[in-house]
Amino acid sequence: MRPWLATALTACALIALWLWLTLSGVVSDLFLPPPGELWDALVDLVQNGYKSRSLWEHVADSLIRVIVGFGAGAAVGTLLGLAMGYFRTIDALAAPFVEFLRPLPQLAYLVLLIIWLGIGETSKITLLFLAALPVSAVAARDGVRNVSEARIRVAQSLGASEWQIFVHVVFPSALAEIFTGARLAVGIVYGTLIASEIIAGTSGIGWMILDAGRFLRSDYVFVGILIIGFMGIALDRLLLAVETRLVHWAGR
Amino acid sequence: MRDWRSLALGSLSVATGLIVWYLIGALGLVSTELLAGPADVWAALVDILRNGYRDTTLAQNILATLGRCFAGFFAAAVLGVPLGLWMGRSRMADASLNFVIQFLRPLPPLSYLVLLILWFGAGDLSKIVLLFMGAFPTIATAAMAGVRQVSVQRVQAARSLGATSRQEFVYVVFPAALSMIFTGMRIALAGAFSSVVAAELMAASDGLGWMVFSASRFLRTDIILLGIILLGLFGMALSRALVAIDARLIHWRGRE
Repeated sequence: MRPWLATALTACALIALWLWLTLSGVVSDLFLPPPGELWDALVDLVQNGYKSRSLWEHVADSLIRVIVGFGAGAAVGTLLGLAMGYFRTIDALAAPFVEFLRPLPQLAYLVLLIIWLGIGETSKITLLFLAALPVSAVAARDGVRNVSEARIRVAQSLGASEWQIFVHVVFPSALAEIFTGARLAVGIVYGTLIASEIIAGTSGIGWMILDAGRFLRSDYVFVGILIIGFMGIALDRLLLAVETRLVHWAGR
Repeated sequence: MRDWRSLALGSLSVATGLIVWYLIGALGLVSTELLAGPADVWAALVDILRNGYRDTTLAQNILATLGRCFAGFFAAAVLGVPLGLWMGRSRMADASLNFVIQFLRPLPPLSYLVLLILWFGAGDLSKIVLLFMGAFPTIATAAMAGVRQVSVQRVQAARSLGATSRQEFVYVVFPAALSMIFTGMRIALAGAFSSVVAAELMAASDGLGWMVFSASRFLRTDIILLGIILLGLFGMALSRALVAIDARLIHWRGRE
């Protein structure tokens, strides 16, 4: 048997199971919509939107939050991480806070941000900023630490100044790890976004899923999950494409 | 010498942070309703230790959170490791199962939490299934990748020395895959710790996440801050412990 045949067979078996469960009435369509209903829900959402906003507005709202929060967090985190990797003193001063923040579940401080900043965009974007920052900082710091001693010595012996070494040797060498950190951060920010929209939101794909769940519209929930899944994959692929473009020497 | 210096600088910066936090309240820059001071948080801790929080003790909440986290994680490890190893060894298993796992992997766990609550109710089961589904794809993928990256030379060397397929797996492939399996488990456990708090915010009647969320309804920032500090300390302890276990079990890491 060929591998692709095995893939096709399992996929068919799963779809058959789905059809049987839903069409025979074993599982109520409140819990699991049959394929036809799922398709209708998608068409309905594309044509009419959800709760007075079009589907694209929900997607755009979520994307803007991710991009602004991640962009700001990754930029500040990377700068901090580069400084931490380069200067031991800055590392020692900042490390306790970064290491406290990194494993801290993001939702734990969401309630505090809501009390301070309200339930609007500011608290959500601050949350995503704080989620991206420590991951990017640690990646950039480790990237700088892992630059080979020999490369720096070579540059020094060729008469490079401290600044030239940083710009032309240390930073490019650390770039691969910075990008790995950025992809990790996007994943975390993306997961946090859904949570932030669920807890306090009136728009966005995450909010749509929760709101549809309240009304037992599991067809809308499924469509929302699929959209979130594909958006996540697209974001990751995009970063990967930028990475292979910018850091074309990675792995060589 | 260097360690001593960074420890001193680290303590200095934590102490500065605490003093700034204290001064913000003491000088009245921000009202204590919005930001409880260090003394208030300490008082909240003492109060909760003595009287509990809304009919739950602190230990009960900590155990609820950690218990859910480990239950979901262990279920994922028990199922994910053998399945990942199998997918790494067998092309057919890879072809028939991997696409399902790779579909689940990038989904943020909270996106399907609503469905799980619909299916399994608001109790512990839906939370444990949530954590399982978040951790399982990561662990299975890591185990599969671990098997795939075992060097062909080693396997061939074992075979040419007459190892059976079983011996080859037990003595060559599995130990070599172990370091990636462990990395996958570390990532999965960190993710589970984050998800469990989110799940507790949505629907729970105990746990540290529930305590923080419930305190926020009454604007009790002292209890919120206490919860955040406890969660941060547990998170740090968890990641330190995993690094230590990793260094112990896979002592050959980085020396291959």
